[in-house]
Amino acid sequence: MSIAEKIKVLIVDDQVTSRLLLGDALTQLGFKQITAAGDGEQGYKIMQQQPHHLVISDFNMPKMDGLGLLQAVRTNPATKKAAFIILTAQGDRALVQKAAQLGANNVLAKPFTIEKMKAAIEAVFGALK
Amino acid sequence: MTEADTARRVHVIQGEYKVSRDPNVVLSTILGSCVAACIRDPVAGVGGMNHFLLPGSAETMRSGGDATRYGVHLMELLINGLLKEGARRDRLEAKIFGGAKTIATFSNVGEQNAAFAMQFLKDEGIPVVGSSTGGEFGRKLEFWPISGRARQYPLTGAETKKTVEMERARPAPPPKPVESSIEFF
Repeated sequence: MSIAEKIKVLIVDDQVTSRLLLGDALTQLGFKQITAAGDGEQGYKIMQQQPHHLVISDFNMPKMDGLGLLQAVRTNPATKKAAFIILTAQGDRALVQKAAQLGANNVLAKPFTIEKMKAAIEAVFGALK
Repeated sequence: MTEADTARRVHVIQGEYKVSRDPNVVLSTILGSCVAACIRDPVAGVGGMNHFLLPGSAETMRSGGDATRYGVHLMELLINGLLKEGARRDRLEAKIFGGAKTIATFSNVGEQNAAFAMQFLKDEGIPVVGSSTGGEFGRKLEFWPISGRARQYPLTGAETKKTVEMERARPAPPPKPVESSIEFF
């Protein structure tokens, strides 16, 4: 089994289209265990029920945004070890710094290519294949 | 005073988006093969417009290639901009314009762009309350972001040709590289 197949990924984005694209990209990279949530609250609920190894979350979302989710995940002992990658459509330094402070493993600007997504994940987990 | 005297005109160029809560603002743009999505929340009183041309074929758009990602990005920027100004996703409604087919280039890229926008809105559950796409002539478009009123004027054949040439000379800009490569470890 490849590394990608073993990693449980949770996608969190309020846009259906973004979730579909993310899911496609991850499938192409060899991931098989992919769950999706529409906002931070829903994402955190899923993490509490079943912790995932990797969370890829949009920043700008209703209810709980990406940084809120990151904070919640890092505060809970059951989920705090998950790798966390923040996606952002409006990349600004303040957000990147805040994400780093809160313990994000990486930040990826939208629109991303599959190669960029792969690099961002490999920076956390090492080579996927 | 006439409408033209009180209105504040804001032009939206290719690859850009503008959001406004000002009832005196008129968003305007000129479209050849390009497509503009006009989205508003009638309750919050906020609206906006984007303007894009996705490169590539219908196949690359459907298969989730970079062109799709770019288009989704421009739609997301507009929607995020609206949400930031107090709009709610479940109240959004859209109008779609542009995507002219031009005989000069024998290309149906305009049609594919319009189809992309329609599919995106359908997937996101945002109703399309009006649209005017395709055809042989470009459009000059005006959109009042608060009332949702839209008005378009057809371009002449020569104007359409010139507009399409300008659009093609201005391909989709690459994503901003600044923050995309930041890695913490």
